[in-house]
Amino acid sequence: MPWFLHLALRQLFPPGKRFPAFATVSILGVGLGVASLLVVQTVMNGFGEEHRLRIRESFGDCVIVGAAPIANPDELVAKLRLDKEVDGATAYAEGPGLLRRGDFSGVAGVRGIDPADKRQPARQYVTAGKFDDLDDGRVILGYGLARNLRAQVGDRIELWSPAMAERAEKGKAPLPAELEVCAIVRTGFTEVDDRAALIPLRRFREIWSLGPRAHGVILRLKNPAQAAATAGRLGVGHPDLRFVPWQDIKKNFLEAIRFEKTMLFFLMFIITLVASFSIGSTLFSAVIRRSREIGVLVSLGSGRWQLVGLFGVQGLLIGALGTALGFVLTWVMLFFRENILGSINAVFGDGEMVANVYQFSKVPLHYDVSDFVIAAAFTLLTTTIAGLVPALWAAGRKPSEAMRDA
Amino acid sequence: MPDVVLQARGLAKAFAAPSGLLAVLTDVSLEVFSGESVSIRGSSGSGKTTLLQLLGGLDEPDVGEVRVLAPGLGLVRPRTSLGRGVGFVFQNYQLMPELTALENVSLAARIAGVDAGPAESAARELLAQVGLIDRLDHLPSRLSGGECQRVAIARALVNKPSVILADEPTGNLDERTGVEIMNLLLGVVAERGAALVLVTHHREFAERVGRRFVLSGGVLSPA
Ligand SMILES: Nc1ncnc2c1ncn2[C@@H]1O[C@H](COP(=O)(O)OP(=O)(O)OP(=O)(O)O)[C@@H](O)[C@H]1O
Ligand SMILES: [Mg+2]
Repeated sequence: MPWFLHLALRQLFPPGKRFPAFATVSILGVGLGVASLLVVQTVMNGFGEEHRLRIRESFGDCVIVGAAPIANPDELVAKLRLDKEVDGATAYAEGPGLLRRGDFSGVAGVRGIDPADKRQPARQYVTAGKFDDLDDGRVILGYGLARNLRAQVGDRIELWSPAMAERAEKGKAPLPAELEVCAIVRTGFTEVDDRAALIPLRRFREIWSLGPRAHGVILRLKNPAQAAATAGRLGVGHPDLRFVPWQDIKKNFLEAIRFEKTMLFFLMFIITLVASFSIGSTLFSAVIRRSREIGVLVSLGSGRWQLVGLFGVQGLLIGALGTALGFVLTWVMLFFRENILGSINAVFGDGEMVANVYQFSKVPLHYDVSDFVIAAAFTLLTTTIAGLVPALWAAGRKPSEAMRDA
Repeated sequence: MPDVVLQARGLAKAFAAPSGLLAVLTDVSLEVFSGESVSIRGSSGSGKTTLLQLLGGLDEPDVGEVRVLAPGLGLVRPRTSLGRGVGFVFQNYQLMPELTALENVSLAARIAGVDAGPAESAARELLAQVGLIDRLDHLPSRLSGGECQRVAIARALVNKPSVILADEPTGNLDERTGVEIMNLLLGVVAERGAALVLVTHHREFAERVGRRFVLSGGVLSPA
């Protein structure tokens, strides 16, 4: 071990002191900065991931739509299912419908789906009733829609489609379809939950006079991250259809999330920068305090770069230990996040916020290695610079003057 | 004719002061020969510390030049042989507060490029010579002033310099300890064959060395 490393360790952790004030405070400062950066990033990633997952689950990995209804959806679905990237394909139709239950009525985005499809996303969001009960006489309602209609599982509702008005005899009101509510779903997207009504595709075609046609096809892909490329490839030869990867379905929303994350990173970055500056000033005063010792080291033959090493290493060590502490703190804070959030809610009185606004039962997390790498690299860089700047200054001084300092 | 170990010719040094330039040294020349001891006296502010700093390479003269004999290098500028050509002993010891007595001494050897093992045994040997063999692991804060100065003397000698520059080494010590330290310094330096330039206010100490000088008005003259 070079002598200046040994001396750096001794100066940072003087023998006989269990918690040297300077090192402890500096390392704690860095650790807290790193932890706040990573906690925010990890939670933001969690929200982002959760939203992306829900978008994919609610809308599919890729949606195929056209200017006109797809004339032969079964043929297209059968063909797509053969593709090696495609994990599942199912046709759907959708249209606005008028729902009524007694004195309450509402407009629904009615979707005709394949009830036998084991991968229907709605299956995981059922909060009451059973998805598998869905048949030609039944309907599944979104949570908000059901609430507006005051409908519960087992209740009967009436449904009108625009096509019914066309079919009705002149001067007579069209007769509604009568359906029994068999399940209620809650995806967490209010716009979905407030409007969704699901019925079998076959029934939809009847009610909407659609014949064998469908409005679109939903694809599940083996590799959803590659959805855009796969969509592009599958779309070749279908000039009349648009293959929309999930990333484009709610583009603005996803971009807003990403932007939020970037902004928060920037804010946290400034926090860490402030922490680095305070470490810089602490190191600077430490170096000044050691002016005479620096003069002595020079008189003993220490080179300029060894002095720079002596203090640069101390900055680096503070950064490294602070980063490590920050990682641990991050993990601890995130592990106890529900308790922490609970105490915050208890103090500020807006409990249930996450559950109500985001429909997440827990604060979602997503550890992203790159966040940790960036935080560590940035912290090490700034603390090392914070140590190097005063070190360069000290090493450049005349030893005769340094030694005259008190 | 013994070898010259330290040679200063026509040194001048001035400092910028609020009232203009302050000429501290105007024309100082000095030759020190192998193994001999010289003393420099002078009133406070006469420039004794400044002169030692020029001789040891901690500062550069405005005019004139200094040469010092560094082992293996011959007569060189002191700046290029810091820690090897000369060894410093300061009035206030200037030990590293976080290092033990042993580490303080071996640090000097490590800085001069000696490996950890040999550096430690050389340090141990010197500390034994200055009577501190049972204080090796003490931090400076756990040593008396006299003991600190013994460590500093050991440190100054560990790289076998050809000359020791001592700046009022007994200035912070009581009379009895001062005598002890001075005896030790003169003894050990002689034993190790190094030359000594001793700056002191103390007339008695000054008279115990071979050649005596007085620094006054920026010039060095024999006492
Ligand atoms: N870097 C500097 N800048 C300006 N003036 C200086 C500087 N260094 C020394 N001086 C001045 O030079 C003069 C000589 O200082 P020096 O420390 O060499 O005196 P000294 O003989 O060692 O005194 P003492 O016996 O009190 O230690 C003093 O007047 C001091 O103020
Ligand atoms: Mg002085």
